[in-house]
Amino acid sequence: MIHKLDPNSKIIYIFVANIAPALIGARMATASFILISIVILTIGKVLHKTAPMLEFSGLILLTVAIIQGIFHQGNTTVAFALGSVVFYKEGLMFALGIALNVINILMSFSILVLTTKPSDMVETFVHMGLSPRLGYVMSSVFQIIPQMTKTMATITDAQRSRGMETEGKLKTRIKAFFPLISPVVMNSLISTKERAIALEVRGFGSKQKKTFLNDLQKTRYDDIFRFVLILILILSIFWRVLIWLK
Amino acid sequence: MAKIVAEHLKYKYPLSEKLALYDISFTIEPGEFIGIIGENNAGKSTLCQAMVGIVPNFYKGAYGGKVLIGDMEIAKSNISDICKKVGIVFQNPFNQVTGCKLTVYEEVAFGLENMGLPRSEMIDRIDYSLKLLDIYKYKDRNPFDLSGGQMQRMAIASIIAMRPEVIILDEPTSQLDPQGSEEVFRAVQNLSREGITIIMVEHKMEKIAEYSDRVMLLHEGKLIAFETPEKIFSRDDLDCYGVTAPAYTRICKSLGIKNKKTGFYPVTLEETKSLIGFSEKERCPYDQN
Repeated sequence: MIHKLDPNSKIIYIFVANIAPALIGARMATASFILISIVILTIGKVLHKTAPMLEFSGLILLTVAIIQGIFHQGNTTVAFALGSVVFYKEGLMFALGIALNVINILMSFSILVLTTKPSDMVETFVHMGLSPRLGYVMSSVFQIIPQMTKTMATITDAQRSRGMETEGKLKTRIKAFFPLISPVVMNSLISTKERAIALEVRGFGSKQKKTFLNDLQKTRYDDIFRFVLILILILSIFWRVLIWLK
Repeated sequence: MAKIVAEHLKYKYPLSEKLALYDISFTIEPGEFIGIIGENNAGKSTLCQAMVGIVPNFYKGAYGGKVLIGDMEIAKSNISDICKKVGIVFQNPFNQVTGCKLTVYEEVAFGLENMGLPRSEMIDRIDYSLKLLDIYKYKDRNPFDLSGGQMQRMAIASIIAMRPEVIILDEPTSQLDPQGSEEVFRAVQNLSREGITIIMVEHKMEKIAEYSDRVMLLHEGKLIAFETPEKIFSRDDLDCYGVTAPAYTRICKSLGIKNKKTGFYPVTLEETKSLIGFSEKERCPYDQN
């Protein structure tokens, strides 16, 4: 179900999930958006894919917590001490704020990235006004790189069949790498030139406004999803104004 | 429909000393099937590219004379405008795949998206061209998972969908197996019947002789002759230009069998058969054909 949502809705979600907590100005808001993201990712069955990302950023956030906990400017209240190292409450809370924000950003982007086909995503960006050339570069990566890897494997096989040692000790493998470079590079340069011409004769350089074969399918869920998001955004703006007026 | 006219076309690639095309002039009528022959480096591909504007717009280099498609002058137009009138298919089917589309259907749509066509029109055209080239059944496959012949037909379909008036095929079957080439030739024949002007560079002389209305013989960038296949292949100096006549012509030449009506040697199997009075009844009775 999440996979079928229009990428545009997911982009709106990213926007709201990061703006609304900033408007409300409470850590609880950020935390609840993280919770919503987790729920959405679970429905989309891709929650486990966020683990490597979270592990990596978790390491950085931990160092942030340690440094802020010890050295934050407004540190006055002692939280706890490990031997001679004293952690302060203010610093830890500050670090918690940063951590929540980072995780919120990561989670909301994960929804877009993990539940959308790369080609759809690029197409949405082009719809939104990204240059088609840049869009081409982004989407061709998913197809051309695997093809280049295949060519490289063919060339390695050809060299091996003529008696070159390509396996074994690290030194042999490094040695085998150099003769591979020139055919692979030359090969890709030639095919890049040919492909550039092939794109050109199919009107890629045209100044005409592009149209799209794939209609972005907006479903009923998209409407509900967007409505709820906009509502949250309006409510949080309202909340902010109320605070100002006090 | 547009006439193609070349007037004293000369061209030199950048960083090259020699002219790749030397003073070429010709006129091609709408709907004609033109074969281009000549040995390697005769300028066949360069001439093809000069008709779509890749020469000189993509490669730059020194250019003289002019090529007109209808009233459009190639050297002064953008490739993106020319490609609406003239389509070109290259040798290597693999390098013509855009690489940014995941299915055959979307791949064919690429050119149409760039032309800014409305969606319904796009679908009509894609369906039509996929069916014309008999690859509609592969429409949901990944372009890179097709065989060479299928991929080349997809490349042709992508060009057809753009509805050009002229289609140029630069050795479309040189990298294909016999079955794949046969598929492509059949497709090209279909196109010719639709009334599209076709210009094809090919080394398989039997095919050139069979399909072409006229044949262009190139040598070292010069246009040696532009005649009917019978006239071209009956020349005595073909080997000087590195060209071998079709097998039928060679056999009839050595046997001295000429077509009395035209005074030239036959170039196709059918013509040879009728000349030597071959009767259809002599066929093997078990032959399915």
